[in-house]
Formats: sequence, C-alpha cells, structure tokens
Amino acid sequence: MRKEILMPKMGESITEGTIIKWHKKVGDKVKKDEIIFEISTDKVDTEIPAPADGVLTEILVGENETVEVDTVVAVMDTESETAEESVTEATKEEETAKEGENLVDIPMPKMGESVMEGTIIKWHKKVGDKVKKDEILFEISTDKVDTEVPSPVDGVLAEILAGENETVEVDTIVARIATSQKVPTGKPVTEKKETVTPTESKTVEAPVQKEKFDKSKTNRFYSPVVLNIARKENISFDELEKIEGSGIKGRVTKKDVLKYLDNRKTGKVEAATKVTYEKGEGVEIIPMDNMRKRIMEHMIQSRDTSVHVSEVMEVDMTKIHNFIEANRERFQKEEGIKLTYMAFISHAAVKALREYPFMNASIDGDKIILKKYINLGIAVAVEPNGLIVPNIKNADEKSIRGLAKAIADLSYRARNKKLNPDEVVDGTFSITNYGVFGALFGNPIINQPEVAILGVGAVVKKPVVVEVNGNDLIAIKPMMYLSLSHDHRLVDGMLGGLFLRKVKELLENFDENMV
Amino acid sequence: MNKKYDIVVLGGGPGGYVAAIRAAQLGFKTALIEKENLGGICLNWGCIPTKALLKSAELYDTMKNHAGDFGLKVEGLSFDFNKIIKRSRNVSKRVTKGVEYLMRKNKIDVIKGFGVITGKNGVIVSDEDGNSVAEIEFDKLIISTGGRPRELDIIPVDREKIITSKEAMTLSQLPGEMIIIGAGAIGVEFAYFYNVLGTKVTIIEMLDNIVPLEDKEVSVALANSFKKRGIEIHTSTKVLKVGKKGKKVTVEIENSGGKQKLQSDIVLSAIGVVGNIENIGLENIGVETERGFIKVNKETFETNIKNIYAIGDVTGPPLLAHVASAEGIHCVENIKGLNPPAIDYNSIPGCTYTHPQVASIGLTEEKAVEQGYKIKVGKFPYSASGKATAAGDREGFVKLIFDEKYGELLGAHIIGAEATELIAELGIAKELEADYETIVKTVHAHPTLSEMIMEAAGNAYDESIHI
Repeated sequence: MRKEILMPKMGESITEGTIIKWHKKVGDKVKKDEIIFEISTDKVDTEIPAPADGVLTEILVGENETVEVDTVVAVMDTESETAEESVTEATKEEETAKEGENLVDIPMPKMGESVMEGTIIKWHKKVGDKVKKDEILFEISTDKVDTEVPSPVDGVLAEILAGENETVEVDTIVARIATSQKVPTGKPVTEKKETVTPTESKTVEAPVQKEKFDKSKTNRFYSPVVLNIARKENISFDELEKIEGSGIKGRVTKKDVLKYLDNRKTGKVEAATKVTYEKGEGVEIIPMDNMRKRIMEHMIQSRDTSVHVSEVMEVDMTKIHNFIEANRERFQKEEGIKLTYMAFISHAAVKALREYPFMNASIDGDKIILKKYINLGIAVAVEPNGLIVPNIKNADEKSIRGLAKAIADLSYRARNKKLNPDEVVDGTFSITNYGVFGALFGNPIINQPEVAILGVGAVVKKPVVVEVNGNDLIAIKPMMYLSLSHDHRLVDGMLGGLFLRKVKELLENFDENMV
Repeated sequence: MNKKYDIVVLGGGPGGYVAAIRAAQLGFKTALIEKENLGGICLNWGCIPTKALLKSAELYDTMKNHAGDFGLKVEGLSFDFNKIIKRSRNVSKRVTKGVEYLMRKNKIDVIKGFGVITGKNGVIVSDEDGNSVAEIEFDKLIISTGGRPRELDIIPVDREKIITSKEAMTLSQLPGEMIIIGAGAIGVEFAYFYNVLGTKVTIIEMLDNIVPLEDKEVSVALANSFKKRGIEIHTSTKVLKVGKKGKKVTVEIENSGGKQKLQSDIVLSAIGVVGNIENIGLENIGVETERGFIKVNKETFETNIKNIYAIGDVTGPPLLAHVASAEGIHCVENIKGLNPPAIDYNSIPGCTYTHPQVASIGLTEEKAVEQGYKIKVGKFPYSASGKATAAGDREGFVKLIFDEKYGELLGAHIIGAEATELIAELGIAKELEADYETIVKTVHAHPTLSEMIMEAAGNAYDESIHI
C-alpha cells in the first residue's frame, strides 16, 4: 500500500520545515518508529519516524530543502493493508470516500452543553435489520432529555456496541450501519431534532456551575482537581465543607469527593441505617429510570442547599371562579384549551415578582444574582412516575390568555416528551399545583437555583365569615390556600409575606378587563 | 544476650533502616538486624554505586564526543576502568557509614547477623558460622529483607561470565562484548555505561519495547538514541538458552525473524527481582507468601500474623527504594496510631539514569486510555528550551497527560537531561491534585529546564508560549 509521508507541523504557527538529513535512501527497508529523516524548523529540530513497516520508494525533498508543512516529502510502500494508527490525513480521506459498502459509526449524541453521557433505553432495531434514513434506531436518556435517535443513512444495522440500560459517554460509538450510500463526513447523527424531553428540575445546571468558591470562608484546603469536580458536578460549597477528608491532615482528596458524588447519586449520602431487601414474595425490586434518579438527586441537593421555610395564605377566588364559570366554553372554542386557575395565579405571581425582585433571584456564594427576566417554571407530572419543570420564557411579557396557552402547551409537550432542552433550564421561579388532586396546602421543595416556589392548593367552596355593612355573616365562597416555600438564606419572613400578600390581593381583586 | 524491644526490624535496606529511624523518633525501643552492611542493595549494590559508575561514563561521553561542541579541546583522553569501579565502591562505603551514624544518633541497636524468626515474639540472630549471637524478643516485627536478582534455569548464572547486576558493578576488566538480557531500568543503565566505555552491547527484551513500563513514546525515543550510539537492540525476543562455549557465552534467541545464536564475552541477566523470603523462619509462625513475596495488607503492611509486618521489595512490586522507605514510615506511623493517609501507588516516580535520562510518574498515555480516561496530552521538546540549548542538551521531551473531565494531571513522562530531577515537581503537582492551570500559572524561573513542564502543561490546552 502506498503511503505518503508529510512534512509535519511542529507547532501552532510553524508553516515550513527544512530537511537536514535523510537517514534512509530509496529502496531501504524501514521499520515502524525507525527514524527516516531529520528536520529543522524555526522552533525545534526533530527526527521523524516511519509511520509503518515498509520500503521507502520515493524521496521528493532533498537535504537542506525547505518546504511547507503538509508537503509530501517521501513515499513508502507499506507491507500490510491495515492502516496503522499514524496514517496520514490523505489516506484517511481516501478511506471515507471508498466506494461500495461503508460502515457508518453511530455515536451517542451530545444533548446539551454539559451533558457528558447518555443511557440507551431501548433499541428499536436489531443487528441485521434494514434501516431507512431518519428511521428511529434507538432511544436514549441523558441528564437533560430523553430522545429518539434516527439513522443517518439507509442501510443494515451491522453492529450494536452498547446494549439497553448501558450508559456511555457522548461520542462513544454505539452502533455501526453498513450502507452503500456516500456518507457525509463529520458526525452524521448530530443534526437530529432536538425536541423531546423529560427530566425534572434540571434548572440546577447552568448557574450553579459557575459557582466560585470563596476560599476565605474556609480553613480547609481544596485542591484544584477537587474544586474542578465540585464545579462540574454541582457540589455546593456547603456540601464540600461537610465531606470528610482522608488525605494528609484530613485534606479532602479527589477520591473523597468522587466517593461523596457516588453516594449522592445513589441517594446514600446520609445512609444512617440501611435495610437491605431481597427479591421475594413480599417485595418487587424495580430499578429506577433516569428521570427518577435525577429527581432524587435534585431533591436531595435542593434540601441540602436551601434553608426551606413555608408560609400559607388563604385566598378568596370568587371573582376568578365566576369569571371561569362564565367564560369556560367561549374560551374553549376560541383557544381550543381549558381555562384554568393556573393562568390567573401565574399572572398574579409574575406581577408580584416584578414588585419584589429578590424573589426572582439566585445565590452565588456571597453574591445575590437578580434576574431581569422572569422564566416561570410549571411543575408537570409525567406518567408513570416522573416530574419535570419546564419554564415559560419571559412570562412577564405574556397576558393571562398567553400564559394559559403557554401552560397548556408546555404541559402537553412535557407529558409527551416533546420539550426542547432549553425549556428546562434557566427558570427563575416555579409554581407547583398539587391542588389538582384535592390537597389544600403543602410545603414544596425549591427548584434550584431559584429561591422560592409557590404551591397551589385546591379551590374549595366553604363557609367563611364576611363583613357586610358592619355585620359578620357566614357566606359560601370558593377558597384556596397558597403555600410559599422560600430560601431563608435570602428571603426572610417579611419579604415572603409581602410577596404572598401581593399575589393574594391581585387574585382577589381580579379585573375581568385584564383578559 | 536476651533483650526485649517494642519494634524489631529485620533487614537494614532503605525500607528497614528508615522504618527503624521513624520508630525511634516515635519513641519505640527499636533494634535493627542486618547480615551485611547497612543500606541494603540500594546503597551497596544498586542505586548509589551505579549512579557513581554512570557519572564517570557520562563525563567521559561528554569529553569524548561533545568537547568540541563547547569549544574545548581534549587530547589524550582515556580512562582507568578499575579506578571507575573503585570510586563506585568508595561512594557506596561512604553513604553506608552515614547510615551507621544515623543509627547511633537515633539510639537504635544494630545487631549484626542473620535473623531467623522463632516464634510470634522472638528472633534468633546468628553469625556467619551459624553461632547464635543474640536472642531477641519483640512486640512487633517489621520484615524488610528485600530482594535479589531473579535467576532462571535457562540463564545459568556463574557470576563470572554469566552475571547479575551485582557482578556487573565490580568487573575486573572492561569486557569487549556484553549481552544484556532484560531492558528494564537496570538493563539499560548498564547498557549505557558499558557502551560509552567501548563495550559492544546487545540488549534482548521479551516485550515490545525497551523500558517497557514507560510511555511508549519515551521507550521509542530511548531506543532510537541507543541505536545511534551503536547499541544493538532485540525487542519482542525470547531467550531460549544461555550456555558457555570456551571463553565465550552463547545466547540462543527467537523472535519473528526466527531463531538466532549470539555470542559474547559476558552475559548480564537483568530479568527482575525475587523476594528474600527463604531461611528467615516465616514457616515457623506461618507467614503467608504469594509468588515469591510476602503477602501484606497494603494499607497497614500487616501480614496474616497480627504483630508481624513486611515492607519493601520482599512484599513485591513496585521494587523501588523510595517505595520501601515510604512503606517503612507508613507502617511505623500506623503502629503508633497516627492514621497516616494511604500511599498513593499511582504517584510513585520512576527514574532511569541513562543518557538521555528517563523519569515518569503516574499513568502512561496507553494506560490512561485503557482505563477509560478521555485525555489531553501536552508535549514540549528540549530543543525548544533556551536552557537546554545553552547546555547542549537538545535531545528529549516532556510529556504530560491530563484528564479532560476534571483537569487532573494523570501522568508525566520526561526523557532528556536531568529528567530524574525534573520529575519531583510533578510528584508534588500530583499529590496536591494540581490541574493544568496550576502548573501553567506557577511562575517558573528562567532559564531553567523546569520551564518545559509549564510549557508542556500549556501545550495540552493550546496555551504554550514557546512552541
């Protein structure tokens, strides 16, 4: 096989090199890694080894000649057909352009900035199956989204390299397809539609990552690698401080952090007493799916990060109740969706957030991050056993009608795994509606890195005392409890109370002209 | 004589004598039993005397082959082989004297003789003639009897024509030809030494590369440097038989090219080390061994018998003096209850004193990939270093391997001048879990060879300035 030997590039800006000496002449046998010539560049002198065993067949550039980087300086005839690791660029291209049966690598696609791995949930094809371009090959689940991966070409599934439930890093080859089509170079699978999702409060991702650890706040030494891991894996400073160190003078080492991380992922962080169950008549053991595992992780992380306090207020929903009763059918006809309390509550919450910007914030070390945009998270239950919090971007720019439509759209797509990855990140405040099941009030867990979450209880008719012309009377009214959980690190009782009172006032004094 | 000690150390090499000193520092009543000179293989027949030999070779090499490069004129240059050997022995003597002083300073009883364990708390020491000189009682025993060159039936060592490393440092005359079997650190160091002095050296290695534990790029670079010096290298080659034929020794080898017979004046067998586990009474108390070494818990260095510990070469690889010392200190501190952090066996530097020198720590590129790391590799050649150029040492490179995910320094590999000194910085970097940025942002003095480490770290992330 003919192999061209190029003038190598010896550094960033080095564009040419001079051949000082040929150690071999035409016709010489050379072994892999044996020096064939020496070059000198502006920066370094170096010896160039043979890329493979073979015979030197041509020398195209003589001693003391200077040529540009990547110029062919010699040609070898290699003994074997197998391309060695150090094949020149030219031969690589040759291979991909080869006619006839090609094997196309199918990598694990990258589903977002910081997503490093994915789990194969299901193979839709088996080895030997014919596949059409864009036909679904397999389904994956990642930290951010679950998605279906289509075939980039027509062909036959030749190999499956990662089985169901296996987790592999992004770009790992998971399958190969034999095809007669010409394959575009580059990663063929990456152009797949990025729509489909479920994961819950993945909002944690972006902002927390940038957390700068304030070294003056601790007496402990954290190594650069430990801090890198903490940043990458969203381990908060407080968590880090709690990890027991096994290094010199109790220093927290990479091993300690990785162990902590492992325990956190599997929920073992505070495993005080552990009871083990074995499969038997009384017990069924079901492995958690990715979404469940992530909900678990995020809930623990939120509890470990924020100081949760809750307050509850009762709201008279008469005006909104009456409005909905009067307009339900018209709205259904006009917009094709059901008019619900959520749109009104969201609208009131957004207005209150505008008035109390500290509720629309995050904590970064000892800094408060106020967000000028309001991305309102709506918690959506996903069958059979999941939860996700997509958010309505710039919710403050939407009317009640717009919010109603956005909520209906997000909920529908969340349940049907059609969310975009960016719809589950960068939320600023969330609302969860446990009232749909009749609950009156609860104490919701904050969706990190937000600082508060509003819980909505059921609207129930009940007797309440009202004052009419100075007399106390008992009336029947549709009433609702709102629970606000807020992070006491930033939001104290006063701010929480003021915010909640504002929401209450907006709801009770609802003006139909706003719709 | 019948004495009782808190800790008795059996064997006074770099593991044993260091353990004894640490034990005495921590207040234990300590005794050390040694059959020869203090310092073990390292000070007497290994690290130190070979470095003395290699320094002579390196100076001669420079004067002979490079004096002109520096504008020097040397006429009538020659050497006296016997004086080179003698100097090496004197160096060895001087450093072992130093250890004797340290024993006195720390009030450690040194008992000369061969120790045999008689029970779970007793050891008998005998002199050369087998007469008992002392019976000693101990609370804890640390076995540090070390190792010796491995011998195989197919290589019948006679210590004259077919020799081990020990004889190789006391030959009475310079051999015309030498075949070295085994291309680990010991094999290649002697290859360099004898090649420089004019011996025709041939190396035979069973694995694919010389210094096979090093990063492949380093192995290949050293092989190329050796070939240029005229050292013949046969890798992927098995030795079938070694035998004497008149004044010569014949070595039958086999590789992909078929069988071949080589001939030489001397054959040096450097095929590894076995533990000194025989005749010390292990069987009297049932200390478990495994493939020629004592089995220990690598966190406490306890054997299967509760108060009996073992450290260093007698417990198996890595067979390095600095590992034995570290284990000795760790073992004693653990007995004291100081809870020392475990020894990180991924951060043990290894050094080979050829020219160019080779030094490394941590994972090779091949190993890192094999262990599933996604890596970033940074390299910087000596030829781009101002200091190296000024000193005329333009051969070699620094290669650093980082984990792409968390930025950790996984391994460092240096081939070139002073590599064995340069590696220390990377040991600290690994211990303190530095990432590339830590190394790049550490200001390195100019002009030094150490700048290459900073540059190689930068190179891994395309931030290198001088390349």
